[in-house]
Amino acid sequence: MSGSPHSSPHAIPPFMHGAYKTPGGKMVVVDCAARDGRLVEVVVSGDFFLYPEDALVALTAAVEGLPVNAAVETIAAAITRAVGNDVTFLGFSPEAVGIAVTRAVAEGVEH
Amino acid sequence: MTDSVADNKQTILSPARWRALDWRFLPAVPASPAMNMARDTAILDAVAAGTRPATLRIWGWDRTSVVLGRFQSVRNEVDADAAAAHDVTLVRRITGGGAMFVQPTGAITYSLVAPESLVAGMSYAESYAAFDLWAVEGLRGLGVQAAYVPLNDIASPAGKIGGAAQARRGGAVLHHTTIACELDTDLMAQVLRIGREKLSDKGITSAAKRVSPLRQQTDLPRDAIIAHLVAHFRDRYGLTDDVLTPAEDAAANHAAETQFATRAWTYLLP
Repeated sequence: MSGSPHSSPHAIPPFMHGAYKTPGGKMVVVDCAARDGRLVEVVVSGDFFLYPEDALVALTAAVEGLPVNAAVETIAAAITRAVGNDVTFLGFSPEAVGIAVTRAVAEGVEH
Repeated sequence: MTDSVADNKQTILSPARWRALDWRFLPAVPASPAMNMARDTAILDAVAAGTRPATLRIWGWDRTSVVLGRFQSVRNEVDADAAAAHDVTLVRRITGGGAMFVQPTGAITYSLVAPESLVAGMSYAESYAAFDLWAVEGLRGLGVQAAYVPLNDIASPAGKIGGAAQARRGGAVLHHTTIACELDTDLMAQVLRIGREKLSDKGITSAAKRVSPLRQQTDLPRDAIIAHLVAHFRDRYGLTDDVLTPAEDAAANHAAETQFATRAWTYLLP
């Protein structure tokens, strides 16, 4: 595998970028890459509010490793499960993150 | 609609509940962006520990800066090269929300820190409106058509005037708000990666008429606006003049050095 010209261990995978503005709320931006059919190097950012703030780590980890073709509902469910019940999403939602992820995948490589 | 939201909040959070607190006032002392972030956390920790009563602080800015929200990516929000070229400092705050472009004589920033009991029974969204009610009233007293627009904006028919953000820890709430008084929109557009349509959301009504919505409605100098707002707070809730204690100042210096001035924190989300 390391001999493959397309998957050298040092190769930087093409990055994907997607954004979704929650109606009446905040922007969610997802930057990620795809490797072996999975979402990797996921960064979720935006001008939203999340309480407690550290929950962003669990939220992002929940998206990391999901299949690139995961549906919005699947992504949202994974996030909800990962962050638990004591987390407050303000101005966005697990679904909004899911939409931003699917947009990143659909829009493909960032220019 | 926004008026009814504000009125509703007034019912939920009666002035009596605010007057019951021994509010302290910390006037503006110019400091670096990192130190301003650090003073907020030092005050938040002191209120949480019970060593400081509820506090209103006016910020003093010593340089032009971009303050990123806790969850924003530097790359997605800022042209770092342009920021460096124009000597604009980048800093990340502990609260969510959007990037602010701040110039020392153009921005009015205040922080309110109080025990979380002040907002007991309120949703996050309700508490945002409640913490800015006095400022909206104060602006109206100056003839500015200000209203609170959920989730976290102070706005007028001419456009956005200011934005707020909150953090909670250890049983205390930090609510800070920045009001745009005057700003160099050309420089802002070079440094922030915002589309032209987004400029209206940053307090600019049109490219042709680059005057902030607040400045369109009052000619008062920035310092006079601050004085008026503080006087309104004092009148409504009571306010005792105060200074940071040496321990709080030391805690703030430590947080500035070990967190807010570090590249690791600023680029937490690259």
